[in-house]
Amino acid sequence: MSVETAAQLDTQIAFKNFDFFYGSFHALKSINLDIYKGLVTAFIGPSGCGKSTLLRTINRMYDLYPEQYAKGELNISGRNVIAKDVDLYDLRAKVGMVFQKPTPFPMSIYENIAFGVRLHEKLSKSEMDDRVEWALKRAALWDEVKDKLGQSGMSLSGGQQQRLCIARGVAVKPQILLLDEPTSALDPISTLRIEELIAQLRGEFTIVIVTHNMQQAARISDYTAYMYLGEMVEYGVTDEVFIKPKKKETEDYITGRFG
Amino acid sequence: MDLHAKRKLTNKVALVLSLIAMAFGLFWLVWILWTTLQLGVSGLSVSLFTQMTPAPGSPGGLANAIVGSLIMVSLATVIGTPFGILAAVYLTEYGQHSWLGSTTQFINDILLSAPSIVIGLFVYAVYVAQVGNFSGFAGVLALALIVIPVVLRTSSDMLRLVPNSLREAAYALGAPKWKVITMIALRASRAGIITGVLLAVARIAGETAPLLFTALSNQFWSTDITEPMANLPVTIFKFAMSPFTDWQQLAWAGVFIITMGVLALNIAARILFKNRI
Repeated sequence: MSVETAAQLDTQIAFKNFDFFYGSFHALKSINLDIYKGLVTAFIGPSGCGKSTLLRTINRMYDLYPEQYAKGELNISGRNVIAKDVDLYDLRAKVGMVFQKPTPFPMSIYENIAFGVRLHEKLSKSEMDDRVEWALKRAALWDEVKDKLGQSGMSLSGGQQQRLCIARGVAVKPQILLLDEPTSALDPISTLRIEELIAQLRGEFTIVIVTHNMQQAARISDYTAYMYLGEMVEYGVTDEVFIKPKKKETEDYITGRFG
Repeated sequence: MDLHAKRKLTNKVALVLSLIAMAFGLFWLVWILWTTLQLGVSGLSVSLFTQMTPAPGSPGGLANAIVGSLIMVSLATVIGTPFGILAAVYLTEYGQHSWLGSTTQFINDILLSAPSIVIGLFVYAVYVAQVGNFSGFAGVLALALIVIPVVLRTSSDMLRLVPNSLREAAYALGAPKWKVITMIALRASRAGIITGVLLAVARIAGETAPLLFTALSNQFWSTDITEPMANLPVTIFKFAMSPFTDWQQLAWAGVFIITMGVLALNIAARILFKNRI
């Protein structure tokens, strides 16, 4: 995948000396990382390395759990969102998230999309219809569900459910999309469709994806971050990280000697 | 005997033992249902639903007892259910790690297994004895106190079954907590919660002990809940213990009505539960 020249790179998310704790466990250690606008950035590393933890800090998901906390700076569009006075509802309107297992809400396909939109905007019925259609089209799901928008979101197949969740995130019109192993519960064909979808959404959204699958990271991402034991081992242009990694640990992991 | 044959034998022994246990349990259940059917069906008639409980030797029905039971069971359900569900929401969504949450859960489990006669005596002591007369309302209070722990327990179990990722997905869209609870968690578990309410209704429909000390009974038609109120369980108790065959016949008919009602509720609960999510 082509990467824009350095002059065009625009930092959207910047971690500076960022630490994260699960109670007394120091899960992320002094992370420094710039994630660029409109590109796809992949976090890879063995289980427990902290890649999901890092992803979940970007929309402050950890706020739900009182014993988890962060230190340092996490700037999104220049603003430190770790600060106490940040409006979480606002932040989460700007940062969408898709989880490992599809999480359709117990309501119709239409309502699944409209739920998130209604939290942040007041739309008329026809505007909402348009938004739902737009989001489902963006998620390459419209043709399959346009005749059954009133059916339960849970009646869809796993791959369709995951695209519904992407549509739901996209419908709020966020700037950033976080994908936490979005294809690990899906079959190869559904996985391929999600990967194609990510390629289509690239540019319009800043996409950060956590994946266990190194080939997937190599296929779809512009930048790759390799993490191990809560530390950022190597970060750079995906092709470079995979073809000529700077660090020995990265090479060992990528070539399968470890992990 | 080699290992394989030994395992097969153990398997057969276990199968036979569990089949015997099942047959033993089923035997009594079928016998009870059969007796109820046999003795109850012959007492069924239109007058059962239209006439009042009679004096011995005169014709009559169970109309006042049926209506009394319906009124008290519905009111107790309407009063007890919101408390049970709201307390379950507190336990699972707010106080799951707090001492208040775990204490409430513990006390609720005790209340759940408390003999219903204790509840009856409690309401007698704190309400009936203070006010000075038995009333339908006291019966409603006692039954509601039985509904709460049942609904609380089933609702909190159902809410805990809602995957946390579903809540997180709603939070990730920027939903406030109350919306996550009402639109996502309660919605995802509604079939299970309704099932719990139906089971609570089935439970109180046949409770006699808590009504003996509270609603007492009434031989006449009365829908005034400040007065003693007729109801099926106490009427059955009174009529079945009597030496009069016509009263005994009515008692069996009452047993049949309750059994069928509870059976219908259980089937309804089962169908709902099957379609869960």
